[in-house]
Amino acid sequence: MNLSRDEHQQVNPSAITGDLREIRDEDLIVHVQNGRRKAFDEIVSRYKGRLFSFILRMVKDPDLAEELTQETLIRVFVHAGKYREIAKFSTWVFTIATNLVRNKMRQRSRRPRLVSLNPAPDEGEMPVDPPDHEADSSSEVEREELARLIQEATSQIPEKYRIPFLLREVDQLSYEEIQQVTGLKLGTVRSRINRARNRFRQLIKPLLRNETLLMELERIEARAEAEKGNN
Amino acid sequence: MRCNKAREFLSMEMDGMVPPDSTVELEQHLETCADCQEYRSDLLLGKRLLAATEPELPENFDWKLQLRLSQTLREAAGDAAFPWEEKPSDAWAWLRNFGTAAAVGMAAILTFAIFVGPNDTSDHFVADSVGANPAAAVAEGGNDRLPLSRQIRFNGLQVGGPMQRQAPGMSLTPVTGSRLGLDRGWSGGNLEDLRIINRLRAENRQLTSALLKSQLQLRLRQAQLDTSAQKALDLEK
Repeated sequence: MNLSRDEHQQVNPSAITGDLREIRDEDLIVHVQNGRRKAFDEIVSRYKGRLFSFILRMVKDPDLAEELTQETLIRVFVHAGKYREIAKFSTWVFTIATNLVRNKMRQRSRRPRLVSLNPAPDEGEMPVDPPDHEADSSSEVEREELARLIQEATSQIPEKYRIPFLLREVDQLSYEEIQQVTGLKLGTVRSRINRARNRFRQLIKPLLRNETLLMELERIEARAEAEKGNN
Repeated sequence: MRCNKAREFLSMEMDGMVPPDSTVELEQHLETCADCQEYRSDLLLGKRLLAATEPELPENFDWKLQLRLSQTLREAAGDAAFPWEEKPSDAWAWLRNFGTAAAVGMAAILTFAIFVGPNDTSDHFVADSVGANPAAAVAEGGNDRLPLSRQIRFNGLQVGGPMQRQAPGMSLTPVTGSRLGLDRGWSGGNLEDLRIINRLRAENRQLTSALLKSQLQLRLRQAQLDTSAQKALDLEK
């Protein structure tokens, strides 16, 4: 929902009135432009989780993901004055994050990698290793373990498909927003998301037929639902 | 409808993007295709798995962000406050410095040569003309170098010689006229000049001292801020 620039200018920059949580992103950033730190804190609370989730699934390294999430938010603060409401605020934020992630991954790929002397199966063809329940049927698949398996599967999707896939699945951006973030054509965005979903399905297929894991998934969802109810 | 097309639509269906005129056709295909039904449930399960395994933010994320933000703002303020502070030198700085020094040096030599040379009212360039018959000159020297007796002289200083090449046919036109010397720079013996220099030096010393003091205070404040932030982090842990 984009407002026109005339409507945008009606935001009173001198004071924040009402509950910050009620203010939309595009108005909050106007307050940040006018030096209101509280408005920035609200933006941080809205975006930190989404950004971290997206970045971690891109770079796989939690420390690096934290660093890049913070860097994104700092850039939002420092360059707040450059934001113009020609695009949605979330699109602007995720464009910054995506550029940072791409640069970091490019830097990484230039660095020489250590090559294992043990022959490994082709990474692209390697399915996610499901937990061995035959060996230890009593052990419960923990959320962390499940998260690790999903992370492993996600990281095996090629980068050019993974970015639009995660922007859609994790951050709920619309096709048009993903188009703006990535600079791709709308048809390309759609087909890349489709291909990434297909690839992801192939990678997690062993997990999808695992009864224990599906029960664990239901438990996690029930817990999340209960927490949401408490809040 | 074929399975490939149906699967493309199933992906779009998850985002509510299936064209309305294709919905019925898709449903008809799904009724008869077990593989595509399985594909649909797998896509939905994949989405649920992604949502259920959303990573949690690291502890102290907000604190670390505030620290980094303060640091960034401090650095920005530092740049504005001390724009003359030395920046870390880059790899090619020496080359640029060398180039600048060389250019200044050349300019100084030229200035000296043109304006502050000996008071010579005779011809500034004394060159035995080889222009009249360059071929003969070459033949005389056995090569294209000028013979010793015909070296170019510049304000009485020899600048040409056996090692200096002169293109055949080139000749330097003698320039006549008075010396173009101008009285530039400090007189050296002028007491007023010395007083000004001494006053400026004293002011410079005072400013440098004040700057160092401010920088010291700033570093002290930074250290205090870092320590208190660290304590807060420790407490939170």
